[in-house]
Amino acid sequence: MATAFKVEPAEPVLSVQGLTTSFRVSGDWHAAVRDVSFDLAHNETLALVGESGCGKSMTALSIMGLVPKPAGRITAGRIMFEGSDLVSLDREAMRRIRGNRISMIFQEPMTSLNPVLTVGFQVAEALRYHRAMGGAEADRAALDLLEQVKIPSAARRFKDYPHQFSGGMRQRVMIAIALACRPQVLLADEPTTALDVTIQAEVLALLAELKQAYGMSMVFITHNLGVVAAIADRVAVMYAGEIVEVAAVRELFRRPRHPYTELLLRSIPRVDRHVSHLETIEGQVPSIAAMPAGCRFAPRCPLREARCDAPPPLAGAAHHVVRCWVRSEGGGHG
Amino acid sequence: MAEILLAVERLKKFFTAKRGFPNPETVTVRALDEISFMVKRGEAFGLVGESGCGKSTAGRSILRLVEPDSGRVTYAGEDILAADAARMRVLRQKMQIVFQDPYASLNPRRMIGKALAEPMLVHGLGTPTEIEERVEALLAEVGLPPDSRWRFPHEFSGGQRQRIGIARALTVGPELVVADEPVSALDVSIQSQILLLLRGLQDKHGLSFIFISHDLGVVRWFCQSIAVMYLGRIVEIGPIPGIFDEPLHPYTQMLRRSSPVPDPEIRIEPARFGGEVPSAVNPPAGCHFHTRCPHATDICRQIYPAWREVAPGRGVACHLHGS
Repeated sequence: MATAFKVEPAEPVLSVQGLTTSFRVSGDWHAAVRDVSFDLAHNETLALVGESGCGKSMTALSIMGLVPKPAGRITAGRIMFEGSDLVSLDREAMRRIRGNRISMIFQEPMTSLNPVLTVGFQVAEALRYHRAMGGAEADRAALDLLEQVKIPSAARRFKDYPHQFSGGMRQRVMIAIALACRPQVLLADEPTTALDVTIQAEVLALLAELKQAYGMSMVFITHNLGVVAAIADRVAVMYAGEIVEVAAVRELFRRPRHPYTELLLRSIPRVDRHVSHLETIEGQVPSIAAMPAGCRFAPRCPLREARCDAPPPLAGAAHHVVRCWVRSEGGGHG
Repeated sequence: MAEILLAVERLKKFFTAKRGFPNPETVTVRALDEISFMVKRGEAFGLVGESGCGKSTAGRSILRLVEPDSGRVTYAGEDILAADAARMRVLRQKMQIVFQDPYASLNPRRMIGKALAEPMLVHGLGTPTEIEERVEALLAEVGLPPDSRWRFPHEFSGGQRQRIGIARALTVGPELVVADEPVSALDVSIQSQILLLLRGLQDKHGLSFIFISHDLGVVRWFCQSIAVMYLGRIVEIGPIPGIFDEPLHPYTQMLRRSSPVPDPEIRIEPARFGGEVPSAVNPPAGCHFHTRCPHATDICRQIYPAWREVAPGRGVACHLHGS
């Protein structure tokens, strides 16, 4: 959350502009991420939220330069970070940024950790590689990191292997690796989805605390709107490869404008109170090879009109934009 | 007082496993450590808890898909664990299961029509024509198009496959359905479709459910009462919404406070605890939860708290709520 006392740079830390990432499906290129634009402010947490296949993970992989080749490629757009366009950087330059200036953590830490190396070694590795630290120095710094992510008796567990840790502790190890070089931006892709709720709450609190301590910005990818409410400053809702709505977190939950966002919020059973009517969204997300020409949500939308056959732009006041012909005019539904 | 359809008493199931390298040790996983609860006819009973708490083993032991070590399961007055194979076949028509991932339980090379007809053929429920008609009616009931009969499992989306899983459970006309995380793998918009379908079936056929889930929000919406499990034991039982509005056991309170709510005004409260979560392989002595409990005292570290019924249908195992 922004404080009035801190002087914040007006320039966004990361600026994604018109990003389109395409995949080849039986000979034709189709956009899995289409014309995605957002700015990430200093010390801000932006949640990218959407259901499976909406392009939220592919957006993060595009930023990291990790789009699987040759099946996929970035076909348009710029990703501006620290004065350069990440899309045009060569492999070497990208390697210097990845895990150093921009880091990423994933849903399943076990697939990202090397099972035959100790966790201490793996945390220290980032420091040896990017900071050219010597062995002893890197180990000291790594131990300090493991303590910061609150691994109990970190010194004793420094030489343990990933399989000796629980899921929550492994995710803490991943966070320590990601933060080793004090990145400007952390991309967190469903980092708590595989964890139990009590552990999820702990890891979310840890991420919020570390974000503040390190003064970094975070892109938090999730399908869980409860988690969004818990961690985000601002939210971008994605549907079928596009951003359909962006607003500050309180604004989005209080006044959702896009029919998809609104229905989604009303289809969640809540633990804090009784929900008498659970909303559903009929039908399914269109497949990547058969996207509607107009609004991509139109086939499932209860507010559909004739004009929805043309693709709507992301429009509205700067603090709340929505990609919907019906809802972008006037004050929405109040 | 509604009729008790299913009574589970001191149900126990331990597994043995080999752990460790290079010198494996045999360990005992205390998956179910004498759990007891009752399901009323027409009720949806939730079993909640985090991974490894034994909730799935409970569902399976009740249906004897895994054979429990000891305890009693009574279905409409009949002891299930004492039933012989022939009697069990009859009882299985009354009790069915729906899994989290229906794809894993469907034969990829068998058309849906055949997959749905098979249980009815096995149980001898009608002539081939009657079975055909029943398959058609079931597909309509779970909201699948009639031509699904001629399709294979891979042609369906996750939500549709769960509909198939539900249709298959319904083929034999059960009274009780054990639903093991039936919506956990689904997207939010699809999850609500399936929940509404299950609720509709409950209303229409008077079905009873044992609904196993880690998602308290889903359980609150679907169930009438729940049991909270921790490391193989039930720590609290109660009706909904009382158990969520006033949870008694510190673990229920922790689960409730940790569950995310889609409202930025309500921030979740993480537990102050930071250590490793113990496992059912070697549960802590005394109350299993004492290592994470903010209220733990000496007695909690030594003696497992006795079960105490605090109100009709409401019970808890915690020294804080002792006599």
